[in-house]
Amino acid sequence: MAASVRTFVRSLSRKNACFAAVLRQSDCRWFTGAAEDRSTHFGFETVSEAEKASKVYKVFENVAQKYDVMNDAMSLGIHRLWKDALLHVMHPQPGARLLDVAGGTGDIAFRFLDYIRSQQEKQQRRAMSLGQTPSWRDISDGYPAGGGAPESAVVVCDINKEMLKVGRQRADSRGVTTGLSWVVGDAEELPFNDDQFDLYSIAFGIRNVTRIDQALKEALRVLKPGGRFLCLEFSKVTNPVLERLYDAYSFQVIPVLGEVIAGDWKSYQYLVESIRKFPDQEEFKGLMEDAGFFCVQYFNLTGGVVALHSGFKL
Amino acid sequence: MYVNFRYQAESPKSDVARRLSVLLDMATLLRGLRAAGALRGLGGVLAAPTATNPQFCRLRRGFYCAALRLQDESKSDKASSSSSSSSSTSYHEHYQAHSAQQDTAGQHHSDPAAEGTSSSADGQSEYQDEEYESEEQLQARILTAALEFVPLHGWSMEAIAAGAESLGLSSASTGMFINGSGELVLHFIADCNTKLTEILAEQHNQVQLGQAEKKKTSEFLRDAVETRLRMYIPYIETWPQAMSILLLPHNIPDSLKHLSNLVDDIWYYAGDRSTDMNWYTKRAVLTGIYNTTELVMVQDSSPDFQDTWAFLDNRIQDVVNMATTAKQVQSTGEAVVQGLMGAAVTLKNLAGLNQRR
Repeated sequence: MAASVRTFVRSLSRKNACFAAVLRQSDCRWFTGAAEDRSTHFGFETVSEAEKASKVYKVFENVAQKYDVMNDAMSLGIHRLWKDALLHVMHPQPGARLLDVAGGTGDIAFRFLDYIRSQQEKQQRRAMSLGQTPSWRDISDGYPAGGGAPESAVVVCDINKEMLKVGRQRADSRGVTTGLSWVVGDAEELPFNDDQFDLYSIAFGIRNVTRIDQALKEALRVLKPGGRFLCLEFSKVTNPVLERLYDAYSFQVIPVLGEVIAGDWKSYQYLVESIRKFPDQEEFKGLMEDAGFFCVQYFNLTGGVVALHSGFKL
Repeated sequence: MYVNFRYQAESPKSDVARRLSVLLDMATLLRGLRAAGALRGLGGVLAAPTATNPQFCRLRRGFYCAALRLQDESKSDKASSSSSSSSSTSYHEHYQAHSAQQDTAGQHHSDPAAEGTSSSADGQSEYQDEEYESEEQLQARILTAALEFVPLHGWSMEAIAAGAESLGLSSASTGMFINGSGELVLHFIADCNTKLTEILAEQHNQVQLGQAEKKKTSEFLRDAVETRLRMYIPYIETWPQAMSILLLPHNIPDSLKHLSNLVDDIWYYAGDRSTDMNWYTKRAVLTGIYNTTELVMVQDSSPDFQDTWAFLDNRIQDVVNMATTAKQVQSTGEAVVQGLMGAAVTLKNLAGLNQRR
């Protein structure tokens, strides 16, 4: 039945673009044959959906080695504060499992592990301060547990192998060995079973996804009931004065920095253009609610330059 | 949607009229919930434009059999899933049935009959019906479950996380509670107030039906405050922490509101219908008694808190004595004034000032 419908629609799409557009909006996974007919944005230019994925892959392949340096240079180090804010809002409880999508170089993952560790230390200190000398049993329980209570773990998933390679190198240099795994995967089609993760985060990655609604549906799928979806992304600046400054900075300074530091003007031109093409705070909130998230809210950071969206799977 | 049980008592005193009014309230509640369910169902339908989405169908079917399963669990009687509609929880199922009907034009009407008995299969579907209870109801459920873990973790986010996990939700759902510990304590207090109101209403009914004696005011107040404070006994170890949380600036408005509701309810059921300054003085006095008794309770180590109840007795006695003393002072004052007036008139007579020529 799927094949016949597919041919039927293909013939119609040549005659009537509107009708095909209506069908496109429905969640038809089998409608892959017409991917070339659908177009999307790649920065300010229009490309077909099939092309966008490969173009984005090439962009990140080029920038992978200098990614962290460029982040610091472009945002003047403020991106660290944004990512810290994400962790504070996330407030992971001990034993939580995080899936960090598009988390290539592992910034969020390392912060997550640090946060969990400091919370556990705080708990231990609180238990100690109650004035009880720990028995031998308590002390031996404090040693790294093999089984027992579920340990927190973070899975970093990225479509780009180069970014994951850089991330793994950073993990080795930091000496992080347990609780971290690196998986190659597409945000629109995650290689995980349903109901696996407590937390799903995607920091500065969702604007590169070809079909955002698909990525949101996948996020809903892999989250446990009660799980939380967090998205950190560039968004609309609320203040008009700041907006003018931000636009000037984005289009005049950032590509130049890209050329000087990383030797790649076009990738960073794509970066600032893709930021402009991304839906604003309210629209993205609507997309999340359509995908099925509840209690959706967003926080504007740095005057709206970055927005942190949060939703729950209930 | 919050039905305030207090207002049911304001209806006519006669038994039949009261029961009718209760039924009417339930009917309006049903209608309102049905409307809410319809809206929610509409919203759900709009959210997934293709109703042919198989996951969504599974969701709806799963929701309905999960609704039945929840009924079963609440009565721990899995066999009678079909007869559960005849039980006292039929109102709840009515709501589910009506909202289900209005959502997807009888899409799964035939399913429950077949799947009602096999509802144990789908563990996940129990949480998919969350979209049919509101987010506030889910938060209330999580907080109620978290109360069990309070003796272990204190009034904190860890208790809420443990509560969420006991319901099968991920600990990440604690992110819904921005003011976690405050919300937990306030939820508990609201719960206790509701329970107390129910107990007082029941006692009131008993008196109305003539099955119990009407208590004296002081005795009534004493019993009400004792009942209310006894609800804290399971959490008495951590109650000082809860009191300090309630004193945080952002929690003060809510805690004051709960306290004033509590005191108002107690006086209402004690029979106070005053409309003058007495209204304020009575509530202020009871607030004072309640707060001081609570403070005594948290540091009381006598068996079954006898010292606390003795303290409570003494305070209520003080108030009663004060009231009688006030009355006595007033009547004495009036008598003294009259005596003085009489003396003054006598003196004037003696001095001949009252004669008229």
